[in-house]
Amino acid sequence: MVSRTVETQTRMIRFSGLTKRYGPLTAVRDLSLSIAEGEVYALLGPNGAGKTTALRCLATLLAPSEGTASVGGIDVRHDPVAVRRKLAFLAASMGLYERLSARELISYFGRLHGVPKHDLRPRVEEMIELFGIGDFADRLCGRLSTGQRQRVSLARALVHDPPALILDEPTLGLDMLSGQTIYDFIATERTRGKAILFSTHQMYEVDLLASRVGVLRGGRLVAEGSPSELVARTGEMNLARAFYHLITQPLEALR
Amino acid sequence: MNVWRVVCAKELRETLRDRRTLLMMVVVPVLLYPVLLIVMEQLFLFGIRNLEAEAARVAVVGEAPAEFLAILEADSAVQVVALDSDPEAAVRSAEVSAVAILNTGPAAEGTREVTLLFNGASDRSMRGQGELRSAVAEWRDSLLAQRLEARALPRSFVRPLAVNDSSIALPEEVGGYALGRFLPLLLVVITLLGAFYPAIDLAAGEKERGTLETLLTAPVPARDIVTGKFVTVALIGITAAALNLTSMILTFQTGALQLTSSIGLVVSLPITSVLVIFLTLVPLAVLFGAIFLGIAVGSSSFKEAQSALTPVYMGVLVPAMLPAFPGIDFGPLLAFLPVAGVSFLFRDLMTGQASFSLGCMVLGSTTIYAALALAFAARAFGSERVLFGGGDEAAEVSREGLWARLFGNKPGADVPVPGQSMMLVALVAVLFFWVGIQMQIRLGEPGVIVSQLAVLLLPALAFVFLGGFDPVRTLSLRRPSANGAVGGLVLILGAMPMVWVLSWLQTFVIPIPWELLEGMQDFITAESGARLAWLLLMLAVTPALCEEMVFRGVLLGGTRSMTPWRMVVLNGLVFGTFHLSTETVIRFLPSAMLGMVVAWAVWRTGSIFVGMLMHLVNNGTIVLVASSTTLRDLFSDAGAPPPLWLLPIAVVLFGSGIHILLRRPVPEEVRRLTLAHET
Repeated sequence: MVSRTVETQTRMIRFSGLTKRYGPLTAVRDLSLSIAEGEVYALLGPNGAGKTTALRCLATLLAPSEGTASVGGIDVRHDPVAVRRKLAFLAASMGLYERLSARELISYFGRLHGVPKHDLRPRVEEMIELFGIGDFADRLCGRLSTGQRQRVSLARALVHDPPALILDEPTLGLDMLSGQTIYDFIATERTRGKAILFSTHQMYEVDLLASRVGVLRGGRLVAEGSPSELVARTGEMNLARAFYHLITQPLEALR
Repeated sequence: MNVWRVVCAKELRETLRDRRTLLMMVVVPVLLYPVLLIVMEQLFLFGIRNLEAEAARVAVVGEAPAEFLAILEADSAVQVVALDSDPEAAVRSAEVSAVAILNTGPAAEGTREVTLLFNGASDRSMRGQGELRSAVAEWRDSLLAQRLEARALPRSFVRPLAVNDSSIALPEEVGGYALGRFLPLLLVVITLLGAFYPAIDLAAGEKERGTLETLLTAPVPARDIVTGKFVTVALIGITAAALNLTSMILTFQTGALQLTSSIGLVVSLPITSVLVIFLTLVPLAVLFGAIFLGIAVGSSSFKEAQSALTPVYMGVLVPAMLPAFPGIDFGPLLAFLPVAGVSFLFRDLMTGQASFSLGCMVLGSTTIYAALALAFAARAFGSERVLFGGGDEAAEVSREGLWARLFGNKPGADVPVPGQSMMLVALVAVLFFWVGIQMQIRLGEPGVIVSQLAVLLLPALAFVFLGGFDPVRTLSLRRPSANGAVGGLVLILGAMPMVWVLSWLQTFVIPIPWELLEGMQDFITAESGARLAWLLLMLAVTPALCEEMVFRGVLLGGTRSMTPWRMVVLNGLVFGTFHLSTETVIRFLPSAMLGMVVAWAVWRTGSIFVGMLMHLVNNGTIVLVASSTTLRDLFSDAGAPPPLWLLPIAVVLFGSGIHILLRRPVPEEVRRLTLAHET
């Protein structure tokens, strides 16, 4: 039932049979999916379905128990550092150094990502302008509001201009205005040919941005397709109902 | 530019913006200690003056000659009061500070007894006693002078010798000696405190604030992150110690301390000593920084890291304090003891007696320890369980009672977990120390057997049965194969001479407690066959049964989830430590070695009876050798080397034992319990 797109485009992000266990608990079970350049993929699932674990495995923060994942053809098991060079990873849980200013923080991550010294300053200023950080660029991160922090986090994640973006619930806790910044940003990056994988609980975001959707349930990918395909397949009236259907119906009924 | 330098520069910048760290790094070492010292000294001097300001109220009981009363009258420090109550009650109620009780006068040239009644728990009373004592001494001198005059003898008649003390130490050396007593500890503690908070902040603090995940998304190897962080922590530790040392020396040199100037102490350090101290502080700070970082990164919050680091902190204080104890000479053994070596080197540098070779040993060994600690920290940073785990291991709150939680059989587990068996061993060790030794003292020789049965065997069995564990699997109660029994026997026969050589070798660094050895010798020498049988029962059979049940039974059974070599090493160390607690330090290494050998054989064969056999043979052999005069003459001079011709035979036997035991695979049911997440 998983729809397989013909491999015409380059597959920037790929999960191949990835399984992750924590002790007796299996958080992600045999996950396989791929995302092309210029594609926005939304990973849905109830809390505890394994979304964050899957994304963390891709970002090389966790090592897969079985199977693997790759970014730009680089296997996370073989060269995690090279994978991180190709990635921007952003999660709501990620903190900022409170005793650095926004500018210092972006600059620090630029250097960690190996941005050459003469490019660093213009690159940091570019990010500050892009995300509208100018007004608070010299304020310590500990003093920023949630929305301001999220902008700094985006700038931090993208300072090295990577080809693949992973966003774990990027709009969590943000107001409409700040959320809109993220939507605009995702739309722009898509047109620039980035492969974007994000997880969310907001169906509105999925409708707005995603070209494809995967639904995780108990660590398993139970459905995949475009939003309209999922709605059609479940016979529901909208994506939210379709999602509810997919996570509540008995597994056998979905096959 | 190296990535670690980027990390370090950022960490330093952030740390310097943190008030708490700055306080520990600059304010405490520079200001607090000198200020504290001066304040303490002032208080001390103030107290003495206060005490001396008023005259001590004293009383005289008995027939006091006018001469003595005149001496007291002339002394402004005392005020004689009349006493109408019981002298002891008067001193106790502080009505008077001290009382001189004069016995009735002597015959012409006899001795008159004077009792000074005072309260040794009161400063005021002790001062009164002191004043009375000097008054009595003055009176005595005058009586003596009268007697000498009556006989026309010169004063030198009662003073045939005059002793003059003359120390060859220069005032600087005396100062250095005083300084060397406590300054090393202070320097070590300041280095430690300097590294303590940054380490927690840079490791657990990152987790608590959620920045570690952010940092780890950067394409930087864990090694560079650790290096950067750890250089920061070490730099801060070194800076704190350097500032402390500087401010300490300056405080002493300005002469602000009246106490030191009044007793003629001169405190100064040659610049070369100061430089060597700084040089030694570097690996010390590195050591602390790496240990703290490696431990702190396993904790998920500042608070948790603080409690995880506190035992390390305490553990460091003991060796750091050693130079403050009198009579400990600095030698190669201490030079290799972590922290203690540094502390002693500081002392010797301050007293100007440092030796170059010892200094090199301290620097070298501390550098090695620091490198090991660094490897440990790097490993901790590379482990996802450490990075994303942390916090309490059991996320669920147990609803069972305390007893059930301590010893309860968790569903699905039929052997205890390591924590449970370690707890039993700890409990048994404490029981043995409190109860077992008392039994041995009260009951004599039968007490040895009773204590082993009651304090070792009984708790071990109670633990297994009350805890609901599977006795066969926990205690390895399996009949040994012939192969296992022979292998174990050959192995222990080979191990015994090797352990003996080890015991002999360690006497080069550890002093032998001769009295204890001789006492043991007399104790285990048998005159008759019956005596020998009793000794074998008491010293070989009983320990083989009881100690094995605890150490190769419960402890080995409970630690089977560890890797085999860890399990075996831990078993030996615990076994050695147990013997340390009841006897002397020289028992540690031999017992630990034997424990490891026996633990390995029991693990390999799956049968505790192999362990019992080996333990029996080992202890029995010692009893036999000691009890037979011919064998004893051949073997038992503790200071002499063991017959070294035994060594090649022993090595062959040892190797054969291992070979025999390796021929059979480890029984299925005692293989390591592999947990799902460890595959």
